[in-house]
Amino acid sequence: MTKDKLSYKLTRILKSALATLAVPVFVIYLLVAKPDYTIMNGLAHIVLPVANVVGDVITWPVRLVGQSIDWVRETSKIRTENENLRKKLDAALANKYACDIALDENQKLERELGVKTASPYKNVVADVQFDDSVFHHNTFLINRGTKSGIYKGMVVVSFDNRLIGTVIDCGSSFCRVRALTDADSNIAVRVVGSDISGFLQGNGKTKASIGFFSDTQFVGRQGLKIITSNISGILPPGIYIGDMIDETYVDVLRPNQNSRVMVLKYNGQDSYN
Amino acid sequence: MIEKILSFCKKIAPFFITLFLWRLSIRFWNPAGILALIPIFYYTFVRNIRFFTVFGLLFCFLIDYRCNLPLFWTSMFCIFYAIDGFQNYIEIPHIDKNALYIFMFFCGVGFIILTFSGLTFANFINNLWLFIWLNVLYVPITALDRWVRQ
Repeated sequence: MTKDKLSYKLTRILKSALATLAVPVFVIYLLVAKPDYTIMNGLAHIVLPVANVVGDVITWPVRLVGQSIDWVRETSKIRTENENLRKKLDAALANKYACDIALDENQKLERELGVKTASPYKNVVADVQFDDSVFHHNTFLINRGTKSGIYKGMVVVSFDNRLIGTVIDCGSSFCRVRALTDADSNIAVRVVGSDISGFLQGNGKTKASIGFFSDTQFVGRQGLKIITSNISGILPPGIYIGDMIDETYVDVLRPNQNSRVMVLKYNGQDSYN
Repeated sequence: MIEKILSFCKKIAPFFITLFLWRLSIRFWNPAGILALIPIFYYTFVRNIRFFTVFGLLFCFLIDYRCNLPLFWTSMFCIFYAIDGFQNYIEIPHIDKNALYIFMFFCGVGFIILTFSGLTFANFINNLWLFIWLNVLYVPITALDRWVRQ
């Protein structure tokens, strides 16, 4: 078809009209469907796995080379890591007796005070598939979904029980997790050893900022430990988040620091599934 | 026979390259497969590959999904498609350097909006880096396509 033909011009105008029409439809949809975007996420749940599978097939040689390079790099690091771990082990063993005594005393206190600590007895281990930190959003995909019993709102932690993020969308075989550094992340937290609550907000940086403390006189300082608070039952209480770096920022775990994570099956009703 | 295979390869190459760049996402260099915007733009606006528009739209949607930017690049794509279709002042396929400046405009508008929607110095630097990186890579990728066709 030559560009001078009327039919070509008509087709082009028709396609452009369709594209023009699509924009207000998108805008209206975004306004109406916010924040769940059910149709959009539903479409992504179908398209994304298919594109991933096809992409896996065509990119395997490149990924194989990449994995081999990673493997060689990891292997070369092992010796240094081993030496560091030995030093840490020696230091940990030196503190072991003090910790044992503290644990015994803690258990005794819990028994005497009748404190019941909730602990998740079900969790799902998942691999981080893609770290999609871009622009002011920090989300990542994990390779477990509704098939493994994961649902929107569940909590993702590292293997040392440190909060990484919350599940914001779930397909059958994958989940999208919002990291604490995401600009849309805003969670209730508590300062360890006090009743002071606050809010931890991401801003797309590598650190998250803390503020809106329940005590207006409170000023944060370096070294204070921050844990989750159970305000409105969105997050399970008492999960370690990180230490304060200064009076504003908290050192939180970022998606690229973990290749494997755990999803806690927390139902948001002050209990674990 | 070989010619048929080569012809088939040439036909699927645009789709292949887009999928390839999208799938090989890696933090810092290709976050959320954003480099796929290069073939999406090039094969839709510069080379006008048949059926590629729908494919490009789909991959804009996938980039948006992974960037957590609901329908942002998809809308940008539609707006540019509409503008390109309704005007006949600029013939994108005939612009020098495979329409690099138009691509810069396309990305630039998107990146400016995204920078102002989450305005911090770190985001500004990140966005600036991505903008430069995308435009730097646009030149060899499109030149390679032209060379293969010739």
